[in-house]
Order: sequence, then structure tokens, then C-alpha cells
Amino acid sequence: MTQLHPETYREAARKAIGDPVLQKALAGLQARFGRGAAEAYRRLPEGPHLRHTAHEIRERAVAHLDVLLERLAEKIRQNGGHVFFASDATDAVEYCIKVARRHGVRRVVKGKSMVTEEIDLNEKLAAAGIDAVETDLGEYIIQLAGEKPSHIIAPAIHKTRYDIAELFVKNMGIPYTTDPPALTRAARKALREEFLAADMGISGVNMACAETGHITTVSNEGNIRMATTLPRIHMAFMGMERIVGRLDEYEILLRLLCRGAAAQTMATYVSYTAGPRRPEDSDGPEAFHLVVIDNGRSRILADPRFREILYCIRCAACLNVCPVYGKIGGHAYGFAYSGPIGAVVTPLLTGINRARHLCQGETLCGACMEACPVAIDLPRMLLALRETLAYGDAFWKTTPANPLEGLAFKVWSRLTANRRTWECFLKAAALGQRLFPKKGNRLRRLPPPFHGWTRKRDFPSLAPETFLARWRKNEIEVAKDIP
Amino acid sequence: MECMTRTASPSKVTLFIPCLVDALWPEVAEAMVRILRHLGLSLDCPADQTCCGQAAFNGGYRREARRAARRFIEIFEGAQCIVCPSGSCVHMVRRHYPGLFREAHPWRRRAEAVASRTYELTEFLVDVLNVKDLGARFSGRITYHDSCHLLRGLGVKEQPRSLLRHVTGADFVEMENADSCCGFGGTFSLKYPDISAAMVNAKVDHILSSGARTVVACDAGCLINMAGAMSRRGISVNALHIAQVLAGVDFQRTCPF
Amino acid sequence: MIPPDQKAFLGRIRQALGHAPHESRNGSHLFMQGPSREELQILERYRQRTAKDREELLEQLMEAAKPVHLCVRRLPDPEAAGAAIAALVQEKAPEPDTVKQVVAWRHGLIDGLDLHLLPEQSAVRVHRTPPLDPLMDPARRHAEREAQRRAIAKAHMGVTAADFCMADTATLVLRARPGQPRSVALLPPVHVAVITLDQILWDMKELFALLRWEARFAAQGLSRYMAFISGPSKTADIEATMVHGAHGPREVHLFVVASAPGRLQYVGQRSTFSALTK
Ligand code: SF4
Repeated sequence: MTQLHPETYREAARKAIGDPVLQKALAGLQARFGRGAAEAYRRLPEGPHLRHTAHEIRERAVAHLDVLLERLAEKIRQNGGHVFFASDATDAVEYCIKVARRHGVRRVVKGKSMVTEEIDLNEKLAAAGIDAVETDLGEYIIQLAGEKPSHIIAPAIHKTRYDIAELFVKNMGIPYTTDPPALTRAARKALREEFLAADMGISGVNMACAETGHITTVSNEGNIRMATTLPRIHMAFMGMERIVGRLDEYEILLRLLCRGAAAQTMATYVSYTAGPRRPEDSDGPEAFHLVVIDNGRSRILADPRFREILYCIRCAACLNVCPVYGKIGGHAYGFAYSGPIGAVVTPLLTGINRARHLCQGETLCGACMEACPVAIDLPRMLLALRETLAYGDAFWKTTPANPLEGLAFKVWSRLTANRRTWECFLKAAALGQRLFPKKGNRLRRLPPPFHGWTRKRDFPSLAPETFLARWRKNEIEVAKDIP
Repeated sequence: MECMTRTASPSKVTLFIPCLVDALWPEVAEAMVRILRHLGLSLDCPADQTCCGQAAFNGGYRREARRAARRFIEIFEGAQCIVCPSGSCVHMVRRHYPGLFREAHPWRRRAEAVASRTYELTEFLVDVLNVKDLGARFSGRITYHDSCHLLRGLGVKEQPRSLLRHVTGADFVEMENADSCCGFGGTFSLKYPDISAAMVNAKVDHILSSGARTVVACDAGCLINMAGAMSRRGISVNALHIAQVLAGVDFQRTCPF
Repeated sequence: MIPPDQKAFLGRIRQALGHAPHESRNGSHLFMQGPSREELQILERYRQRTAKDREELLEQLMEAAKPVHLCVRRLPDPEAAGAAIAALVQEKAPEPDTVKQVVAWRHGLIDGLDLHLLPEQSAVRVHRTPPLDPLMDPARRHAEREAQRRAIAKAHMGVTAADFCMADTATLVLRARPGQPRSVALLPPVHVAVITLDQILWDMKELFALLRWEARFAAQGLSRYMAFISGPSKTADIEATMVHGAHGPREVHLFVVASAPGRLQYVGQRSTFSALTK
């Protein structure tokens, strides 16, 4: 598999921008879902304000995570299920491999789960000699292509039907066709065999409810139901924050999740699992394991500046409205999570300095916050991340990311502290700009830090005199009637 | 959104000139002066002002931003009503200044006081003065770009539109995705120019397909970005600040490019 | 005994939240002790439901069913539903890898459909899924389970009941019970569900209020496994083209029959561990 790194944000972004197929797919995705979610919130009986209620629910849940997880584990164990608390990726993966070995598991089918992407489960299972097949159609396609998902909900948006046809011909030996229903049928057939042959089904968790002791999985294809019904063992992975206390709270979040994710009032399938099947049940897995994952989350929890990101329910609504994501796609973010949520959570999970471009490469336009079903203030956290990069931060062990920029802002701070100094600076700059090619009033090429701008855009030249200078000299014309 | 209509029609207005307007595009400030004087307001413009510190703040440089905020507050504290032709600068003052100081800090109260008296031009005209028709004239088809901080930060959406609809001779049309970011984002456009350029070019495509010959916005940053991209692509659509349209100034002369 | 992984894990969380790491916190205030005022109203509304209300619910359900491609039909009685199923069996050609066979839950309402008459009419086999006897020898139980699984995987139509149907979103609610394998509603390309009119609820709020507080439903609660099903399986993963039947059923039909007293859905629980209806 191609490994991605958050360090390559700029280059990966450039590549994505130059890919016309991807550009068209991204625009289509955002046109379809971006506005749809907002419209779906408006149509809620409680109105869009329900997002703020949901925010409070998540806030309460995260503030009582220990209590809720304890209750969930207790209930699941009462039903004969197993719960494992994994402090990091290695813990989680090792537990999975251990259980798989104990049960003689050779084939694994997976329902889409971002947290297993986060812990690189597939690669590690493969290294342990266990094949894990992705069963969400989009995930399956990109697994065949040896790539990584580029969107939380629509992982294969960057593939055309022609790409997919070729992949299927090569991997399944079907006759060439580019007809989506025919391709879907072919995948259905291939994956049906996988489901029936698999020993273990792996899923994520969209949301757990402590009161009832359930985990929920949501899908439209039905692959998750397959993966959690047919194999002998079901193992579910959840980020530790994906839980709420009560069923009525859960109800609100599920409605918002469906709306945020795909502008649906209800996803096609929502499954509630509380444990393995009983001896008298006809089907369902004989063993159920829930793996609760920390992997850096308790560190986020400990910092009130960033705790809010744990309210996220991974619906991808913010991706669907983000103008930056809409241009650079998911791969540029270099990790399981992309778009605005990735921009905040990836630095926190993998290192802020390392993933600095993710939190700096946004315009702070605020579209994500409006789209978020739980009204998370993503721009606020982007700013807070940037602050840790500006000055360094002991808690997150960051160092100033760009000392030159830091110096520039110090100088700027001096220059703007006094109007006269500021005007001297502007005058000097006005002199300086004469050195650069100009057409009419526009500058065609400028030195750093403006050189990037002038690669594709013109820049206006400084006015011969500032407004304030003219105001001082009383040169601003006295109003005549507006024509 | 708090429409601050509680201020009984002020007679005196203090001008808050964004640094971009001051240095790159003074015509915008001139147009604003013209509008406000036309409405019979007496104007004051603190000669010491430089910059609100938004760029530093957005870059994560809170300390520098706080320094700028203190200076701004000292300069503008005495003003009854502060008006600025930029949504993002007002957003900075109104939404971010108070948070730069701790809850109990005396500066917090001062910041809040200044924040509550600062208005963006179109919201000031429509919500405070209750003026929608300035009697301006224009000819041709125009479209409007929503600047992010004005729209989502301050909730100003209809005010500029209703002002534009009242301009005689202006054929106002909505473009697709009027509310999506143009890709300016202050230093973002310098640090991530490729992404920024891709975004602005998408915006320009929407402007073109609206058929408008003029794109109007309430923020010099967005306009410079859009105009810069159009100028490079050889597109002859004008980018005008709303103040220029409302002041009815001959736009041929006042376009930044 | 708290396992060490859990102890360390929850300790870290407590510490991050500023609490003593090794003391369990009391969380009773986070959970409900009784129905909320809103839920009491919902329960009252449910209990007072009139025939007219039920008609309204059905209408709402039919409206919501359209966009999710759930085919809803109202039929006078289980016999009519049985006949409608027979007609569907005739009409639907089996897909590749399935044969013209029906697999049907063991359940009071489904038993009343007279599906055993189908083989005579059309030479289509009907498999029933009786509960497995928990006292049975595990090897035999395993063999029976495997036999059921093979039958379900081969059938081109699955017939189930449902616990409820939410009108608001056209969502069937199925709780796990012996004799009612979940895969019957999942593997066959055509899924037919039969419910009575009084099983239609307004929405999730009503459903959850019933599952929490209405004694006859709360006893089982959400059960080991509960599924919400809103129409056929869907995917739009190939160039955003909507295709039905990605993994689950390509078609879902819902037959609503008049509520017959004593024929409520949980009658199914009475079913005995009798032999397969062949
Ligand atoms: S941040 Fe909000 S919108 Fe984005 S994935 Fe999380 S919940 Fe969804």
C-alpha cells in the first residue's frame, strides 16, 4: 500500500489540483452532499438548533467517558461479550491477532472503519498472515488498487468507472464492463463468497450507548451487517470517545449523523449489537469482542483547548463543505482522517509539528462548523493548533514551526505599533516594488513571501499615498450627492 | 446575530480603515466617506490606526495580535460608533478581541465595549441606519460574493444584497456557490498559493458563468484575490468593493487593477 | 475483578478529566430512572392510538417509503399477504447463485401466511427456520445451524416479520429471537416483511420510549441484536451512480395486514422447537 504522510501536504495537494477527474468528482460530491446536509438540518422538527443540543450531549458524554465506558463494558460482558481496552495501536492490533490466532482465523472481512485505518490494522494483519478484505464497495475498490481511502463516506470518489472496470477485469476475471450496476453485481458476488468463507468480521462503531450497552454500526450497502452476522467472530473497534449515555441522547445523534453524512433521514441499515448470539439463536457470531482504543485520545482529553474535537462523530459533513478539501481531496491529508476534522485531529494524534501543514493549510472560512452536526468549533481549534506552532507548546512538545515567520510577525508588531514607522515602511515598500515587473497597476512577479501568489495571480501595487495620509491632509473630497 | 439597532441613530461615526484598504486601495475608504457624508454623518478618522492584527491572529501569533488589539482599543475606545468596510476586520474586533484577554482581566471589558460598537459598513447602513436605498446608479449586471467572516462570522447576508438591489440600473444576479470561500485567507494565500489559486479560480469560474460583468464584495482581501486571478487570466470582469458601487463612483477609474 | 487493561485505561481518562485515577465515579445522574415527561406523552399517545391514527401512520409510512424504495402494500389479512408473496415468487426470477426458493421465519404471523401451500401451487420450496434447542447436543445444533445458513444463502426470497415499522423514515425494526435468523432479511435478493397495522410507530422517539418503558417491549429491550432496515441495500460508490442491492437485498417489500387480536408480533415467541416445516 502507498504510505501517506502529512508532511507531503503541499505536493499531494498540487497533484490533486492537477487531476481533472478528481476535481470533477470532488465538485460533484460537494454539490450533492454539502448543501443537502444543511437542508436536512433545517427540516428537523426541532430545527437546526438541535446541533447545539447534540453538542451538549457530546460534551456531557466526553466529560464522563470513564463512567460511560465502564457501564458499556459491564453490560457487554454480562451478555457474554469481551471488551478490551487498548492504550495504543500496538495494543489493539496485538489483541486482534491474538484472538484471531486462538480461533484459527484465516480470513477476515471488514466493514468500513476509520479507526482501523488509523491503527493500520490491515497491513499488520497481513504481516501476521491474515487476509483482511474490505467489503464496503468503495473500500474494496481502493483495496484492489492498493490505495488508501480519500473520503470517510465515499472512499473511492477519485476512481472513474473505467479505472474500476480495469481493476475488476484484472482481479476478478470478469468480462469488461463500465456499467455501474454490472460492476456492483460482480463485486457483490465476489464479496458474498468472502463473507460466507470468513472466520472473523471486523467493524467500527458509529456510536455506542452506555445505558443499553450497545454498539451501533451504520451503513447503506449492508456490508457491515454481513460482516457482523455471518463470520464466527465479530470484533468491533471503537475510538474511546464514540459513546453517549442515554438512548434518548443517542436518538438525537443518530438522526444528526444520518443527515450530516449523506443528507438522509435514516441510513439504510443501523445495527445494534450487545453481545454474541445465544445458543438457541440461528445466526450471528458466536463470539463478540469490542476493542476500545485510546491511541492518543486521553492526551487530547486532558487539554481543554482541544477536548472538543472528541465530540466528533466522524460523519464527514465537514469534508463535504470544505473548500480546501474540495480542491485537494483526501489523500493530501496523509492520514486516515481528511478535511477539516483531519486538519485538527491528525496533528493531535500524530504530532503537531509533523502535521503542521494540515492545520495551517486552511482559510478559516467557517463552513465546516456550520455543517457539523454537533457544531464543533473547528476553526477555533485550528487557531489553537497554530498557536502551539507559533510559540512552541510544552504540553504537546511542539517547537516553533517557522522561526522566520515568527520573526516577521515580531517585526510587523513593531512596525504597526506606531503610525509613522508604519508609513515609513509602506513608503520603502512602495519604492521597492518599482523593481518588479508591472503591467498597468498590477505586479506580475514578486519576491518571497509573495512569489507564490504571483505565480498564478497578479498583485495590486501600493497606492501612491495611503488613505490616512490623505485624510490628514484633508484631501478627501467633500461629498456631493451620489449620482 | 446581534443587530445593534439599540444605538439610536448616531450622528458621529469613527472610521476604521483596514490596512489593505489604506495601503493598496484607498478608493474604497474614499467611497465609504462619500456615502457616510452623503447621509449627513460627521466623520472622524483616528490618524494613528494601523492594523487590527488579524493576520497575526490567524497565523496563531496571539501575543502579537493581543498587542495590536490593545493599541486598537486605546485608539478607538472613545468612539461612539466604529464603521469599517471589511467583514473580516470587524469579525476580528467583535468576535476575537474579547477572547484575547482572560475573563477577569480589565482589558476584557474594554475589548467587549469596543467590540459592541464596531460595525461593518453594510450592516451599519441597513441595521443601524435603516437605509437600503442610497440613490446610487450603476449600469450592468453585477453579482455578489459572500466573504466568509462577514457571512458565517457576523451573519451578514441580506444587508449587502438589499443595498445592491436598490442600486438603479444594476442588474443583480446570484452566482453559484456565492458563499464558498475565494481562497484568500490572508497569509494562507501566500503560504499555500497553489491551493489558494485553485480555490479562487473555481470562484472566478462561477463569476463567469453568472454572466455578471462586475463582482462585488465587502472585503478588500477577497476582491484583491479575485481581481488578481481574473487579471492574470485576462478576464475583463470588474471587482468592486460595495462602497464603490453604492457611492456611484465611476468604476473604470477606481478598480484596483 | 477489573481487568488491568481497563483499570489503566479508565485511570488515564479520569486523570485527564482531573479526577482521582483509581476511583470509579458515580454516574447515576447520567442515566434515566424513569420516563421523561416527553416520553410519558409519547407512551400516552401510543396507548390512546385510534384506528384513524393508524391510518394516518400508514399514509405517512407510504410517503416516506417512496424515496427509499421500500414497496409498501396494504392487504386485508394474512391469507392475502400469503397470496401476494406467492405472486411475487412467480414474478421474480432468481438471481445468479440463488434458486427459486423461499426462506421464512418461524413466527406467529408468518405461520399464518400459509406459505406451506406454496410448494403445491408453484413447486417452489419453502424453508422454515425453527429455533434451535439450547439443550440439543452442540454438534447437532451446529449441523442444523449450518443447514439453515445454506438454505438462507441459496434462497432468492426471505420472508420475515418485524417488531415495528417507523413511519417517519420507513424503517423496519427487527429484534433478534430464536427461530428468526437475521440473515433472512439480509442474504436473499428479495426481502418481504409482513407486519400488522398496529406495529407502525411514528418515529425513533416512540420506538425508544416503548423499548425503555412499555413493559411488554422493555422486557426484551433492544435485544442482543436489533436491526433498522430502511429499504433495499444501496451504494453510490461508483461515480456516484445509485445502485440497489450492493450486498443486502435489491428489493424490499412490506405487506401491512389489519391488526388481528391475539396475532401480535411477539406471538412468535411461543413457537415450539418442532421440526422443520418441509
Ligand atoms: S467534525 Fe463534525 S462534521 Fe466533521 S466529521 Fe466530525 S462530526 Fe462530522
